[in-house]
Amino acid sequence: MSSFDYSALSVDDIRSGLAAGDFKARDIAEAALTCIEAADASINAFLQVTPDAAFAAAEAVDAAVAAGKLDTLGPLAGVPVGFKDNMNLLGTRTTCGSRMLENYESMYTATCVQRVLDAGGLPMGKLNMDEFAFGSSTETSAFGTTKNPWDLERVPGGSSGGSAAAVAAGMTPVTLGSDTGGSIRQPASFCGVVGVKPTYGLVSRYGVVAFGSSLDQVGPFARNVRDAALALNALVGHDDKDCTSQPCSTDFTANLNEGVEGMRIGIVPVFMTAEGLEPEVGEAVLGAIQKLAAAGAEIVEVDLPNAAAAMSAYYVIGPCEAFSNLSRFDSVRYGFRDPGHADLGSQYEASRSGGFGAEARRRIMLGSYLLSAGVYNTYYYPAQQVRTLITDDYRMAFGECDCILAPASPRTAFKFGEISDPATMYLSDIFTISINIAGNGGMSVPLGLGSDSGLPVSAQLICPWFEDEKMLRVAAALEREYGAAPIAPSYADLTASSGEPAPSSDLGGE
Amino acid sequence: MKTMDQVLQDWEAVIGLEIHCELTELETKMFCGCKLEFGAEPNTHTCPVCLGLPGALPVPNKAAIESIVLAGLATNCDIEKHTMFYRKGYMYPDMAKNFQTTQGPKAFAMRGWLDLDVDGKGAEERVEVRDLAAGDEANGATRTETGYTTHIGITRIHMEEDAGKMVHLGGGEGRIDGATHSLVDYNRAGTPLMELVTEPDLRTPEEARLFMQKLRQVYLCLGISDCSLEEGSMRADGNISLRRRGETEFGTRTEMKNINSFKALHDALAYEICRQAEVLEEGGTVVQETRHWDPATKRTISMRVKETADDYRMFPDPDLAPYDLSDEFIEGVRAKLPELPDQKVARFQRSWGLSAYDARHVIEHRETTQFFETAMAQAGPDAEKFAKPLANLIINDLAARMNADEGFDLATSALTPARALELLGLQIADTISSKQAKEVLEVVLAEDKDPAAIVEERGMKQVSDTGAIEAVVDAVLAANPDKVDEYKGGKTGLLGFFVGQCMKEMKGQGNPKLINQLLEQKLQ
Repeated sequence: MSSFDYSALSVDDIRSGLAAGDFKARDIAEAALTCIEAADASINAFLQVTPDAAFAAAEAVDAAVAAGKLDTLGPLAGVPVGFKDNMNLLGTRTTCGSRMLENYESMYTATCVQRVLDAGGLPMGKLNMDEFAFGSSTETSAFGTTKNPWDLERVPGGSSGGSAAAVAAGMTPVTLGSDTGGSIRQPASFCGVVGVKPTYGLVSRYGVVAFGSSLDQVGPFARNVRDAALALNALVGHDDKDCTSQPCSTDFTANLNEGVEGMRIGIVPVFMTAEGLEPEVGEAVLGAIQKLAAAGAEIVEVDLPNAAAAMSAYYVIGPCEAFSNLSRFDSVRYGFRDPGHADLGSQYEASRSGGFGAEARRRIMLGSYLLSAGVYNTYYYPAQQVRTLITDDYRMAFGECDCILAPASPRTAFKFGEISDPATMYLSDIFTISINIAGNGGMSVPLGLGSDSGLPVSAQLICPWFEDEKMLRVAAALEREYGAAPIAPSYADLTASSGEPAPSSDLGGE
Repeated sequence: MKTMDQVLQDWEAVIGLEIHCELTELETKMFCGCKLEFGAEPNTHTCPVCLGLPGALPVPNKAAIESIVLAGLATNCDIEKHTMFYRKGYMYPDMAKNFQTTQGPKAFAMRGWLDLDVDGKGAEERVEVRDLAAGDEANGATRTETGYTTHIGITRIHMEEDAGKMVHLGGGEGRIDGATHSLVDYNRAGTPLMELVTEPDLRTPEEARLFMQKLRQVYLCLGISDCSLEEGSMRADGNISLRRRGETEFGTRTEMKNINSFKALHDALAYEICRQAEVLEEGGTVVQETRHWDPATKRTISMRVKETADDYRMFPDPDLAPYDLSDEFIEGVRAKLPELPDQKVARFQRSWGLSAYDARHVIEHRETTQFFETAMAQAGPDAEKFAKPLANLIINDLAARMNADEGFDLATSALTPARALELLGLQIADTISSKQAKEVLEVVLAEDKDPAAIVEERGMKQVSDTGAIEAVVDAVLAANPDKVDEYKGGKTGLLGFFVGQCMKEMKGQGNPKLINQLLEQKLQ
């Protein structure tokens, strides 16, 4: 085995390295563990690291390679993958970043996790997140904050902050996150990596602890578009256990090099003039528009007349579904229990008060109120009507364009504690929320560093339902202009050395 | 307290039922692949879905939806093609998700009905039809020769999932009061459950009892549930209020939940009618509440006062897409409908000349229906002459025995349909009397022998020799000259005495018809 720069490896590099015998999957797993150990001391992306599971998966990959059967392995053969901690993996704790589930051990494996394993991925561990995915900074986790690898005083975004930070620091080439209102796209933007929220229904939600069932969708983080596309290839498709999942046979890598010539890229004027959009982000997105135009795309203005109501609809529908989904955490069968209560009512009350953090309690109470008799018709029902209008807006807009380009987040990563008012925090997702409301696919693509902050800035691409390959094609074109996402500078050197053969490695044989 | 009959002279009872029925004949639960099995070790038929583990998602059981569509079609419902599942929130450990998946304003089956034929003693409860002539109508009830018919609206039949079973330990009689531990068995959690809601069209406890019985017959006929009241796979909630006769507004109602026998349903409602009338007649008001029927004391007891309506925070289940049923699916289910009880009654009337009353009672049980059909198929060219006697045998002897003796299983008893025909053949041919037939039936059941062999063996043959009977008749009349005089003086009721004396002389083997005839001749 020769020395290799683990953090620089793409998914394709790992596959070709395995094929050429440059390294074994076991070496990759070891390198990943070394790298996680080195980088995560300062970042705290991982809540659990799972070396045994990683080595077991690596062994299976190595056995297949040794038998000349690499071709039979899926698209993630030998690729270290981390999972957001709301995804069940048998043999791990699944905490959702909450005291409520601090000691909850998964009884089964989520479909999206299983598909990664089936595709040859190496499960490296579970990643930090805002409690039950309620947040945009990973600050609501009960297990400490995760630092942004670009600036340790800043948040990585959220709720999938651990997933974004792990990729940005080079700990794993791919992670999975979930996105209910922007929880993949916003942290991807803050950490300068690719983050894809596929069209609702493309990836099974079975085994992913639900926040807003009609909004949640699982997707990959990666440092380049092709890695994200390969991960999607492994993830998508109908699952008998999720009746909202859809069949899909698309190869998401197929059109990546097609370019954007002749494509119609939609621009939403109200997004570009939105209050709170920082100039450096607006400039970067305008720059991206120019580059796409120069590459032959037709730029068209599209209107989303009801998009402004998305935030209001979201903060009705989301809490209502969350209230109901979280009602199962009652301290009776599993989870945090406040001991010593003589009656069920007071045990419920004390355990839920003690197990849930402030933001979770806020959303549960909000949902409980919004669904109550007499209130339902004032909020929930109109919110669903707004949802229909926004969905129609997108459908109309995609009659005029193939893909929409917008900012991913109004600003770059903010400092810990900088935003304490929930309503201001909610505005972090102003450009992403309407896409969850409508169910379309969306993704973040890095556009380099902001002219003012020097921190990563991203564009968001939005696609018609189940045409996610279109936005990946545009993302690949932008990547050719801006380059693939770099590892955050402080971690580039730290993790580059981790591919050195460890003294304990078996050096015999080839 | 007044009797119910007295109360119902002045008051009208308004009764509605909610009848729950588990789809026990399905292989798997409503939203997961767990096996449906009654009586298994606790928590052995469970999975992440029915345990409500974090991340688990429901997937609807198509076979369950087929069953409820069958039930809807069999009860004259409209099938709603576009429906949604809803979440009904309540915190209690028997429902692991702390919400029950059920249906919203639109159920799979809506706006149906069943007609009830009420006869016998139960028909007397409906005071306003007692004195009507056949064919006349009062309050939606039409008088018939044997009772009356009435039309009961069905509001809806919706699909939901059953809860787990709680067992409370340490308290008295498994009650939660004073219990130190509560155990939950989630084997039942997620069992597909149909809930049928009637319109408030029922007017007497007997109608409520018959409605539930008829619905059970329909469900059994569809093969969708074992409808076991004992095991709780079928259970009813009864709502009842009173209003003065002529009044059109509803009174305040009380509700009795989880009633698990036909008798209890009838008796609980009858008790409530009397109790509510007493409250109202003393100038009080009926409290809207749930009451518990205690069969031991034959009273209902207040469970809790509903100060505010429960708030279940119902909303469409976002994990389950709106459910669309195609015309093709519905027609496919319709094609699977078996012959329903009412159709069977009509056929028995048409093919075998049975009265509606006899036909209805023959099909009251699956076993008796099967018995009748098998026997009639074996009866050969003269089948029709067996129909009425066979119906009588079933209704008066076999069904009565089934009701009285839980251990009696007609299907495996020594009385096969062929033996029943043999027995009835002996009776029709006047070889044995009806009284002897009953004796032979007992022996068949006890000793597993053929009726003809029993008659032969015991010398039970009926004496139909006119000469022999005449001799006995003459002897009896000669021995009772004073009674003969009384008879001739107008006390014709003494005929029975003479018949009895003759039968006694003939050790029960005389043909009663001939004895009657000869006595009447000689006493003229």
